[in-house]
Amino acid sequence: MVSAVAESDKWVPGPTVPAVPGLPAVPGLPAVPYADPLGDPFLRTRFVLPARPATFLRRQRLVRHLDQALRTPLTLVNGAAGAGKTLLVADWAAGREEPVAWLTVEPGDRRPGVFWAYVLQALRSRGVPASGTVGFPADPSRVDGRLLAALAAELSGRDEPVVVVLDEYDRVTAPEIAEQLEFVLHHAGQGMRLVLVTRTEPLLPLHRYRAAGRLTEIRAAELAFTPEEAVALLELHGLALPVPAGRALVDRTRGWAAGLRLCALAARESADPEIYLKEFEADRSAVADFLLAEVLLRQPEETQDLLLRVSVLERFCPDLANALTGRTDAERLLVGLHRANAFVEDLGHSWYRLHPLFGEILRAHLRVRLPGLEPELHRRAARWLRSSGFLPESLAHGAAAGDWGFTAGALVDDLAIGQLFTGLRSEDLDQLFSRMGPEAASPAAHLVRAARDLARCDLDHGLAHLHHAEEGLNADVPDASEVAAALLSCALLEALAARLTGSPVRAERAARAAGELREEVPAHLLARHPELTALLLTHLGSTRLWAGRFEDARAALTTVAGTPGDASTVLPREEAMGHLALIDYLNGWPGRAERKALAAVSEAERFSLPPPCGSGVVRLVLAAVAVDRDELGRAQALLDETDRLRRATQDPVTAAGRAIVAARLQLLRGHAGAAVEAADPAVSAAMTSPWAASHEALVASAAHLAEGRPEKAAEALRDVSVDQPACAVEAARIQLAAGRPGAAMDLLDGVHAGGRTGPAVTVRAALVRARAAQQAGDTATARRLVGHALLDARRERLRRPFLDALPWIRPLLATAPLHDLAAGWLTSGPAPRDAPPRPEARPSPLVAAELSGRERDVLERLARLMSTEEIAADLYVSVNTVKTHLKSVYRKLAVNRRGDAVRRARDLGLL
Amino acid sequence: MRYEIRVDGQLSETLAEAFPELGHVVMAGQTVLFGPVVDEAQLYGLLARCQSLGLRVVEMRQLPD
Repeated sequence: MVSAVAESDKWVPGPTVPAVPGLPAVPGLPAVPYADPLGDPFLRTRFVLPARPATFLRRQRLVRHLDQALRTPLTLVNGAAGAGKTLLVADWAAGREEPVAWLTVEPGDRRPGVFWAYVLQALRSRGVPASGTVGFPADPSRVDGRLLAALAAELSGRDEPVVVVLDEYDRVTAPEIAEQLEFVLHHAGQGMRLVLVTRTEPLLPLHRYRAAGRLTEIRAAELAFTPEEAVALLELHGLALPVPAGRALVDRTRGWAAGLRLCALAARESADPEIYLKEFEADRSAVADFLLAEVLLRQPEETQDLLLRVSVLERFCPDLANALTGRTDAERLLVGLHRANAFVEDLGHSWYRLHPLFGEILRAHLRVRLPGLEPELHRRAARWLRSSGFLPESLAHGAAAGDWGFTAGALVDDLAIGQLFTGLRSEDLDQLFSRMGPEAASPAAHLVRAARDLARCDLDHGLAHLHHAEEGLNADVPDASEVAAALLSCALLEALAARLTGSPVRAERAARAAGELREEVPAHLLARHPELTALLLTHLGSTRLWAGRFEDARAALTTVAGTPGDASTVLPREEAMGHLALIDYLNGWPGRAERKALAAVSEAERFSLPPPCGSGVVRLVLAAVAVDRDELGRAQALLDETDRLRRATQDPVTAAGRAIVAARLQLLRGHAGAAVEAADPAVSAAMTSPWAASHEALVASAAHLAEGRPEKAAEALRDVSVDQPACAVEAARIQLAAGRPGAAMDLLDGVHAGGRTGPAVTVRAALVRARAAQQAGDTATARRLVGHALLDARRERLRRPFLDALPWIRPLLATAPLHDLAAGWLTSGPAPRDAPPRPEARPSPLVAAELSGRERDVLERLARLMSTEEIAADLYVSVNTVKTHLKSVYRKLAVNRRGDAVRRARDLGLL
Repeated sequence: MRYEIRVDGQLSETLAEAFPELGHVVMAGQTVLFGPVVDEAQLYGLLARCQSLGLRVVEMRQLPD
């Protein structure tokens, strides 16, 4: 089965810069809305009503009760395994005129994002919701409230209700999913009827529904067969039984459907059914245990063997079963078993599954009868599934077999390694490979390890594994095309490593290698994994941005931002849009930066990504814009949000962006020392970033100035690159304030970067010139320049530059034309707005930002009075890594010293 | 903690193998599974396993250590 995602190749090697640098096209609806949110074709079998076997007995009393389901929002069919719940509801649903969306829940759906992706797909397969406003979850562990609200609104607008059946709902254990279901159910009103088929009590407030008469309940007692029904069921199996005998049988099985069914099968195949039934009644074994063993033993040898072997599978087709038995008779046997209504259920499209109850018992038999065979069965299943294109199932069985060389190889050869970083499958994959032991030494295994480490920003280990993988790939190259997928995966990780180490040379090399390798891997694999390209280009763009090559960065990032949207690429797209926004901000276009950042936010929301997500760069751009607008409380809140992300302190670009915002906030609060400290992004990068270094130098200079050291301030400015217009202008302001108008003017005259610079630069430049003119006694020029600045700044609500100029600009702003220009947004005036808020001192946060596991490790050792070197040795990391962790611990706890950190951590109960 | 779980019916040796971490005693019409249980999560897991094997739990109790 090949992917239904028929997308064209997305690699655009050349830069595709829009003629007008502006908003990237906000991706519209997903190109293939009915594609599997997990990147594979949906297993249709999960959305179809299970077929009723020929021996199915329709019980009218239950059907009539179930008809009530149309009158109550919630229906619960609750009973033990094998109580006949699923067939009852499937039979009832098949006779309905209303649309019925059916979903058989699987264990993998326990995460909210995945669960809702499948529920939405079940609904969409019935044409509900009709419009495209609802969106798609893209983060496995969460679904956005807005998505659920949109779904509920869409459902509540329907003329006739849609019946949603969730079979095997007991596999849902997350309390938040129950809450979300209840939310949708409540707000969907008359538009939705929910039927939960489950073995266990769902975590919904059933008592409330019950009290309000809004619940239809069919429970075990009602599902149990009556003696008359038992007689009728046995009759369908060709056994005639008087009612009293039926009563005895019901007593023995407690009316349990599966028990009766097995009983009928066993009796039918015995020499004398009546005597057999009598013996069964007298027996004292556990019903299912006894009957299953009986029925199993009556099967021919090859059937028993088949049943035992397929018990390791969730579902199977004859070919897969043959792969497990090593014979070719599965089709005949399965058809026969299904016709006899024994053990297997038909899922359609010649796929089957074992009845869940029998599956468990058969696995117990397998372990006893064929001990030690399980891993081998998993291995065979993994290989068959891999060659038939079922990657996720193949990985699961490969892992169950402990065959990590195969499992890692399957992931890499499918070009699916990007799924460890983005998309609905990321958490499951990460967890799956967390069980991989160190003995797996293939290049693919090293690649997977490197990917998992790099995803956690563990550079030390990630780079080491990547190095091993590369060595392995270079060592044995029998045929280049065989390792093309591995080399391409390597290029992706190289690009990420380059990004995290701030190494543009490395990134370009990786991108070039990727460009060549793309020719050598099958096109359909590339098309199936658009996330690989999107991630790679995002890393490339981020590294170019770090190096200050804004236009080259923009070329790569724009390609990513323009990728048609689906769940697998939403994370790189969000990051690319955030980086594009950062470029605009650094070029002095806060308005544009904000629009792009907000577009990224809404795209992330549409796919239920958590705020903040990725590297957090979007939040930082919004925070930086907020500082420019003197919305300091908002800036601090956004900054705190990004601190929840581990990536935010380790990714050079984000760390530098964070340093700029944090340092400016500290400066505005008058904490010069803290500002200097905050201005250091504390990342170890291969090259210094011109803009990051310039901003750091500016903060140092401003701090000197604020503390009355103009000489040192001027000296610090020597590190500011004049290639960064925003920095050069700020440097000019400091030079002027330090009493060096000549140097200031030189700096300003040097700023001519074409059309690149935006109002945040020009406004500041105009104000510096105005101040110089004012100092020279030329008030008219000063006034004219301030007027221009006000006009430019008003649209962007750029308040900060004027507030920085407050002492000298106040008299100018009081004069007639300027007063009007500033009124309403900058100063109090006729317009409704009050004066801009003064920089307020924020109290230290009550609860410290959450510490990462590693930071906690460091903190605990700190409390044991270990030195930095000792901690490094103890944790097997470098001294620098420990220092980085210490820095983040200090920052999160808002302290500057070891002793204070330990004390504060004790106060907060962290130790 | 140690627990014992009493289920209805006599379990075959094969099915008792589905609880390799527990000992078992078969008595008249019932089987008692017993042994150490690490935490509540494992306890609920054992109950779920009983359910998916079609076993009826008649009694469950914590044993004194």
